[in-house]
This record gives sequence, structure tokens and C-alpha cells, in this order.
Amino acid sequence: MKLMLLFLTVLSLAVLAACTNSDSSTNDEGTKEEGTKGEATKTEDDKVSIEFWHAMSGTGQTSLDEIVANFNESQDKYEVKAEFQGTYEESLTKLRSVGGTKDAPAITQVFEIGTKYMIDSGYIEPIQKFIDKNDFNADELEQNILNYYKVDDELYSMPFNSSTPVMIYNKDAFKEAGLDPEKAPETFAEVINSAEKLTKGEMYGFSMLTYGWFFEQLLATQGGDYVNENNGRTGDATEAAFNSDEGRLVFRTLDTMNKAKTFGNFGTNWDDIRAAFASEKVAMYLDSSAGVAGAIDTAPFEVGVAYIPHADEVKRNGVVIGGASLWMSKGIAEEEQEAAWEFMQYLTTPEVQAKWHLDTGYFAINPKAYEEESVKEKWAEFPQYKVTVDQLQDTVPGYATQGALISVFPESRQQIVTALEDMYQGKDPAEALEQAAEGTNRAIEVANKTKK
Amino acid sequence: MTTVRAPGVWKRSANLRVGFLYLLPSIILFAVFLFYPMIRTIYLSFFLTDQNGNAAVNVGFENYSYLLTSPAFLNSMKATGLFVLYTVPVGIILALFFALLANEKLKGIGFFRTMYSSTMGISVAASSVIWLFLFHPSVGVFNRILLVLDLPQIQWLLDPEWALISIAISTIWMNTGFSFLILLGGLQNIDEHLYESSRIDGAGYFYRLRRITIPMLSPTLFFIITISLINAFQTFGQIDILTKGGPSQSTNLIVYSIYREAFINYQFGTASAQAVILFVIILVVTLLQFKLLERKVHYQ
Repeated sequence: MKLMLLFLTVLSLAVLAACTNSDSSTNDEGTKEEGTKGEATKTEDDKVSIEFWHAMSGTGQTSLDEIVANFNESQDKYEVKAEFQGTYEESLTKLRSVGGTKDAPAITQVFEIGTKYMIDSGYIEPIQKFIDKNDFNADELEQNILNYYKVDDELYSMPFNSSTPVMIYNKDAFKEAGLDPEKAPETFAEVINSAEKLTKGEMYGFSMLTYGWFFEQLLATQGGDYVNENNGRTGDATEAAFNSDEGRLVFRTLDTMNKAKTFGNFGTNWDDIRAAFASEKVAMYLDSSAGVAGAIDTAPFEVGVAYIPHADEVKRNGVVIGGASLWMSKGIAEEEQEAAWEFMQYLTTPEVQAKWHLDTGYFAINPKAYEEESVKEKWAEFPQYKVTVDQLQDTVPGYATQGALISVFPESRQQIVTALEDMYQGKDPAEALEQAAEGTNRAIEVANKTKK
Repeated sequence: MTTVRAPGVWKRSANLRVGFLYLLPSIILFAVFLFYPMIRTIYLSFFLTDQNGNAAVNVGFENYSYLLTSPAFLNSMKATGLFVLYTVPVGIILALFFALLANEKLKGIGFFRTMYSSTMGISVAASSVIWLFLFHPSVGVFNRILLVLDLPQIQWLLDPEWALISIAISTIWMNTGFSFLILLGGLQNIDEHLYESSRIDGAGYFYRLRRITIPMLSPTLFFIITISLINAFQTFGQIDILTKGGPSQSTNLIVYSIYREAFINYQFGTASAQAVILFVIILVVTLLQFKLLERKVHYQ
């Protein structure tokens, strides 16, 4: 028995040593690798073949696959292979195991709140390098989207699928309640009033998905920052700033409606709140602009789309974009980077963006796409689409609407979700918000402590 | 005058060496897939990790002391404890009930046996999606039924009071199939002669159940209790699909909390510390079970 134990220990130590060795050797490789190296992967007919990891499922995936196929047919030098890698979180986890090596995909789609993480990771080549080298005219892209992905005036990744929040409402319910269906409430106070009138029988007046993103938006439209250091844009953020007057106002507004029973809580699942709207359980709710098409399709009544509400005392600042962007890997062959750049340029053309916008409801990152015939036709039929674009273009540029830059965003969002849930259960709004700020502060502190 | 010299260590251990050779494949597999990850987990639990998941700052026991005072983690432990209490006893009693029913020799009993064990054939993900629809606040079947019966609507997955119970209900449904199958197997193994003799002695059904069936089934019951307990502690899939740990953290069981910490927050240090704590809890519970329950188990 003793011998057996001894043997086991020796064996496990040996394995341990072997594994740690391989760990450190790959790490060394990762840090030594400056710039590019290695041979590009070629297909049989001598095309440079690159991988493109994305997180688009459903209609997004169908549309993206078509775009990739069109690109591959449009020229004979490069071949892009689009690979679905699961949700944004899952694909980021996978990237972490190959990032910075030559096995990394040339292009990876990463959600907007992963921006800070990607910049700090050392896995990537800033897109700005290719823009400068090839004299690419980035000015023709949507500035309000570029602003988010620009850090210190350098564009790190190519924006791809962008969305913003909008307020979707039931025009028929507005008519029944004696409200003007063409004029949605614009301020927090107006929303509270209208919600009261709209609440009837099984229908709640207002709802919002319990998701941090919407809180960030209602904060930003008042000009409130999420974290200090100007939203982390002028330096590494060290603590949360959302527990400000602006943040408390958002919580109080929701709390007022919740206490008045004019607010319907449909949880954290996008499908649930959309189903609630379509089945007339709620009259107004906040959704992503990418959900507009679905709402119009499924609702058996007339659907209105409006800007998100803003505070009564302050001018509307506008919205922060959400969605994802495309990142170029470092440490892969130069030819592969060229192929990736070529593909990214193709994606920004008005034709491709028009298709993308119409298929999915995401914004066109190139505003010229809105002048395409196909888009004009669709907009004439559904003027609701145009509202989402107008809201984005009306946004006042500033640190608040540029969006916060922190590496611990997913964790902070979870804190906000918990705070909202606690408040809906009767906790004091200011107290709930304060607790979320404390949780975020600890996460930021730990992240800053471990940063190289 | 010849003295018998004791054979050398090499010779004496011949059997042992051969034994090791046979064990080697499993030892290597265990070492690579169990022992190494475990040692690594314990090691990481003393560190804060950087963005790439490498150990960065040695913090000693700080991760543990933080967790044991953090209201969020204590809440996770409490929720896990409650969840185990909700699911294990009910699940086993239900499975035992079904197994006893299905053990009767009736015409077409095969059909019922298949039905009762059928939940085993559905993956956690698929059945969670089904339950998601059943629990749906606006179009779900349960709320429709309540509406028809003129009872107040329940926010199954959105009300912190109900969410854990809702998850428990779906978990019991998912696990009953497996427990049922094992228990039925145990029942079928009980010697028919025991029943015959007792019948001759004039024992009634419940007397037989208490004095023959349960004691004879006790090894199987013990096995299924142990497995169910460990499974309940490690519940993950249904949480991820049904509630994602919400509302108000009421369903944030330890394993889900570990997942969040490691793969959403990228804090492998605190995640590892949580995993170690969970391991200790399961170890203690299982040891206690062996100490307290195994004495009552009747092995033939």
C-alpha cells in the first residue's frame, strides 16, 4: 500500500512537471513572438486560407455564411472559412487557449465589452496599422460606431455588427389608452405617466430586460459615466462611477413603476420579454435595434419604435453601441493578415453592409449602405428601421456615449443584474446600486492587481 | 549447514510489480485527467490569476477567507444545501414508488417501465428547454392551468421564492428515470422465495415491504442516495438554461457560481477556491453517509 502511494506521488509529480514545462514553453513562445511568423496555410489551388471565428447563430449565421461565400467567389487569392464558435463568451474562452500563436484564427469576432480585454491581451494587431499602411479611408464609416472601438485615437478592431437600444411599443394599446400612437413618451416622467395609463388587466405599461446593457444606456443618455477616468478612456479605471445621481435616477424611475405595478418583470431572457410583448402582456419595452424586425414580424398589432427615454432635466445625449467587432490576430503569417484585411475591407462595402443590415437589423457600419435601393425600399415599407439609425446619428459624442472601457465588464453587468433583481423584490434602490458598485470595485481592483 | 537466504527486494516484489503493470493504464489516465487537474486547482486557489489565467499574485488563504465571508458565496452554499434537500429525498421516494409499481407482474408492464425510465434518455439541455416553455411567465402551460383554475399566477423562474423550487421540480423529473431504473433492477434481484415464504406466513403487503423489500433493497438504495446527493451538489445544466443563477442569486448553486467566476469573470483563483470548498463538502457528506447509513445496509 505504501509503495503504491509512493508510486502514485512520483507519477503525479512527473506528470505535473511535464505539464508545467509545456505551459511555460508555450508562454515563452507567445511573448517572444513579435510581429508575424510562419508559413501561411494554403489550399490546394494555392489560395491563402484563413479562419474566421464568429458567434452569430440563426439568421445572422445564414447571412454571414452567404457574405463569406460571396467574398470567396469574388476573387481567387484568398479563402475565408467562417466557423461558429458558440456564444461570445465561449468563443473568447477558446481564443484564450490559442491567442498569440500561429494556430489562432486570423479574424475573431469579440463582443464590445471584450474590447479592453483584447487590447491588453497582446493577441492582436491593431487595425489602425493596416488602415495607415493601405491608406484606407476610415472616415466614410459610421463615426458614432468607430468612436467606441477607438482608444487614444487608434482604431483597434473593425466594427462589424452593431446595435443600439430602442423603445418598442404597441400602437394599438396606445390608441385604446387614449395616447397618441405616433408620439411615444420621451422622458422618464412621461414614461411613468404613460405606463400608468397603459396598465390594464393583464397588460403592464413598461418593461425592460434585466440586463446591464440597458442600465448603461439609460445612464449614458444622461451623460453619466460608468467608471472613473472618463469611462476608462483616459486611463485605467479604478472604480465604478455609476452609483451617481444619474445612476440612482435610473434605479428610482424603475422602482417607481415597479412599486406602482405598472412595470412588468420578465426576467433576464430576451425571448421571454419579446414573447410578452407579442402576447400583449406589456405595452412598451426596451429592446435592441436588432430585435425590431422580429417584433414587427411576430406582433399581431401595429408596432412603434422610438428613442430610449431620457431624464427630464437633461438634454438627450444618445446611446452607446453594443454588438461586436472583428479583431486581427498577431503571430500569424503576414499573408494571412493580408487576407484578413482584404476580407475586412470587403465587409465594409455598401453592398455587403446593406445586405447585412436588411438580413439582421444590425447597423450598416458604412452609412453609404443606407443609400442602396434595397435599403430604401425596406425603409419605405417599415419606417421603424429608420428610427434606430436616426437615434444613432443624433447621438452627441462624448465619454459617456463612447462607452466604458473596463476588462471586468461581464462581472460588473452581473452585479447590475443582481441589483435590479433585488430592487424588484423590494430592496432600496440606492442601496442595491451601491452594492453593485462595491462588487464592481472589487472586480476592478483584482484585475488591476494582476495586470502585468 | 545451508542457510536459506531471504530473497532480495527485487524478487519479493515481483507480484507487486506485475500488479502495477496491470494498473498502469488506469493510473496514467487518472493522473492526467484527475490528479493533475486537482493538484492544479488546489495550487491556483492560492493565487489571483491574470487575464490569461496564469497564476499572478500569491494571496495565500485570502481567496478562502474572502469566500467564507462573502454574502454571495454563503448564499450559494445555502441555495445548494436547500436544493439538495428539495431534490434528493423527493426524487428517491418518487423513484422508489414508481419502481414498486412497475415491479408488479402485470400485462403490458414493459410499456410503463419504459415510460418511467424514459426521462433518462433526454439530455439535460433538451429537457431544460422543455421546462423553460412550461414555466414561461406569459405563454407557459403551468400558468395557463392556474388561470383556468382561477388561481393566482406564479412567476416560476422570476420570483426568488419560487425559482429554486421550480429548478428542483425539473431536476426531480430529469433524475427520476435513472433512479427508477437502478431501483427496479434492485427489486428484480430480490429472491422470489422470500416473498413466497412470507406469504405462506400470512404477511401483508406493507409488512413485506418493510421487512423484506426495503432491507433487501438497501444496498441499491444506499448507492442511489450517494449518487443522487453527489449529482445534486454538482447540478449545472438546468441552472444555466433556466435561470442563469438568478433571480437575485437565488439559484446560483456552487457549480454555477464556479462557472461564472472562471469563464465569465476569468478569475480562476477564486473559482478554484470555490471548487476546493465544494470538493471538501461533498467528501464530508459522503464520508458521513458511509459512517451513518452504511451500518443499516443489509448485504447478503
